[in-house]
Amino acid sequence: MESKGKGGSYLLSLEGIRELFDRLREKYRVIAPKLKDGLIAFSEVDNFESLPFGYKNVEAPGFYTLERSGGYFTYTHPYNSFKNFLHPPELALIKVKKEKGKLSFQVHIQEETLCLFDIRACDLSALRVLDLVFLHKNPHPDPYYAGLRKGLFVVAVNCTYATFTCFCSTMGTGPEVKEGYDLLITELSEGFLVEVGSERGGEILEKIENKSDAERRHFKEKAQRLRETEAMMRVHFEREGLPERLYGKMDSTYWEHIEKRCVACTSCTQACPTCFCFDILERNNLELDESLRVRVWDSCFSPSFATVHRFNLRQSVHSRYRQWLMHKFAYWVDQFDCFGCVGCGRCITWCPVGIDIREEVRRIAYA
Amino acid sequence: MPTLENPYLLKAGRVEKVIKECEGVYTFHVKTQEPAYPGQYNMLYAFGVGEAPITIASMGEGYIVHTVRAVGDVTRHIDQLREGDYLYWRGPYGNRWEIERAYNKTLLIISGGLGLAATRWVFEEALNKPIKRLVHLYGSKDYDSLLYRYLYENWSSKAEFYITLDRPDPRWKGKVGLITELLKELELDEDTIVFTCGPDPMVKACVRILQEKGIPQNNIYASLERHMKCSVGTCGHCMIGPYFVCKDGPIFRYDLIREYFERKEV
Ligand SMILES: Cc1cc2nc3c(=O)[nH]c(=O)nc-3n(C[C@H](O)[C@H](O)[C@H](O)COP(=O)(O)OP(=O)(O)OC[C@H]3O[C@@H](n4cnc5c(N)ncnc54)[C@H](O)[C@@H]3O)c2cc1C
Ligand code: SF4
Ligand code: SF4
Ligand code: FES
Repeated sequence: MESKGKGGSYLLSLEGIRELFDRLREKYRVIAPKLKDGLIAFSEVDNFESLPFGYKNVEAPGFYTLERSGGYFTYTHPYNSFKNFLHPPELALIKVKKEKGKLSFQVHIQEETLCLFDIRACDLSALRVLDLVFLHKNPHPDPYYAGLRKGLFVVAVNCTYATFTCFCSTMGTGPEVKEGYDLLITELSEGFLVEVGSERGGEILEKIENKSDAERRHFKEKAQRLRETEAMMRVHFEREGLPERLYGKMDSTYWEHIEKRCVACTSCTQACPTCFCFDILERNNLELDESLRVRVWDSCFSPSFATVHRFNLRQSVHSRYRQWLMHKFAYWVDQFDCFGCVGCGRCITWCPVGIDIREEVRRIAYA
Repeated sequence: MPTLENPYLLKAGRVEKVIKECEGVYTFHVKTQEPAYPGQYNMLYAFGVGEAPITIASMGEGYIVHTVRAVGDVTRHIDQLREGDYLYWRGPYGNRWEIERAYNKTLLIISGGLGLAATRWVFEEALNKPIKRLVHLYGSKDYDSLLYRYLYENWSSKAEFYITLDRPDPRWKGKVGLITELLKELELDEDTIVFTCGPDPMVKACVRILQEKGIPQNNIYASLERHMKCSVGTCGHCMIGPYFVCKDGPIFRYDLIREYFERKEV
């Protein structure tokens, strides 16, 4: 009988999951999905009751709503992403003080012990992508991201439902969570299958009394549920060889067709869990003796993004859309050895004009 | 290149010398022991204003040289610094000129305008390296914007250093015309190595002429200028195709970037 450490698997009741949540709360700042203004949002969550159990999100290009549903983890992922917590929209880098003409610098690197409770396969892949960008494939690993990331505890959940904008199966990132978790939950008819992915995952689970060992039929049901989820999604394009195809289409006139619709609102880049671009701003006090250097999200859709010599290198919106799409599906592969898109579908749902990146990829690369 | 513990931390150095090059362009000698290579740049910081990437134009015993043209917010503040003031920066960043490739060959340097600041150090280095023939073409808008006048005599005595002005001037006895005209007249071996820095259109025009002279694109290196914020490959501003100019560059072998560099709005 396995009872400890990596590799164990158990069946928990809802009570057991609640206990797990409470134990995590004692050690971590828990970030989890929560109902907020008619949306499911990643937020700091203090009690288990806040989880949006009994709801599902219904999404389509430019459309989002919540519906009642039976069951518990019946939604997909929150409208915002975990990015907000590891690469926050606004983060202070350095406080600069000026005294008698000389400057001094104060660096505050925040160290957090965060727990992502209920992160799905697509977002977990996005976490790996951001790790590559900020840490592992960077000659100067980012200490701010590292500080927030450091003690991160990951409770992943397998999706048993997909919305119309989900396409993780196309990108090869889901629906099944395969790695990178401390604990993994799958909702089954009899209860919750919990699999251990790390030593500390095992330690936490060890303390929970309300559990039994998982059996073969539980894994069979898990596989069945994941198959059903995958079947809810169409495969939209072939991933293999996609960068090469796109490189060959940089001069396609279809980009201009997209320009007729895209309003360069930057919404897709804000919603995307892997978009990392930022600006650095100076925030000065009134006396002009203190200045905070803050990094804030930026977007390749904004008109000042690529300005040199009083001239924006990407004046046309189509060139900015091309930059975005080429980065996600082609350049990213050269830069970080993976796609910059994990198929979460957020950019499709939150595009005010309903631009569907799957369709655009298909039309540009394969039409 | 060594890893920086916090790439955003700023360093301080005393300004030991200020040289006015021309209207709105100053050269600063800044005390530092920091190692760097020709081709690299620093992010210079102006308190409460921001940062701008500026090439390390040269290096002496215990100091680095920066030449800054006041074009905007940051550079206008930097240009107000005087001897004894402190300059703050982070870096050095970026790659270096692959000068070894020019050993026992012809090295041609082509600089346009302020691009001379980006090629000055490698040119100075080349003067003492086993290079068969060293040619430097420098194109300047007009007589008043010439940089480093005090170095020309020394340079001309040691290498083929030619200047051309876009516009004639009664004070100027030398060549007048675009740098491309000067380049066309030049006899070059086909295995010449070329280092260039200048405005994008100048680089593109020069590459065309070099190709006509049979010099392959993988012998040509260009130092690019793009919008930069982080300088460590995480803010996305400087991207050109799959490259980050801040960390993969600023110097690129031309055959590797041509496709993105010559295409519109990449
Ligand atoms: C790798 C690299 C090395 C560089 N080396 C040097 C150097 O050695 N010396 C130097 O003076 N500059 C150099 N530059 C250019 C310099 O970084 C920019 O001019 C920078 O924008 C200046 O910052 P600023 O805040 O003063 O101007 P900003 O406030 O950013 O810009 C002011 C205005 O001038 C425009 N502008 C930006 N760059 C230029 C330019 N080069 N010429 C004319 N107008 C411009 C802007 O679009 C804007 O409208 C380098 C750039 C790069 C990427
Ligand atoms: S590009 Fe769109 S679908 Fe892909 S990861 Fe970003 S938001 Fe999700
Ligand atoms: S959300 Fe839609 S309209 Fe807005 S920038 Fe992205 S693609 Fe364009
Ligand atoms: S300057 Fe930030 S990515 Fe290059």
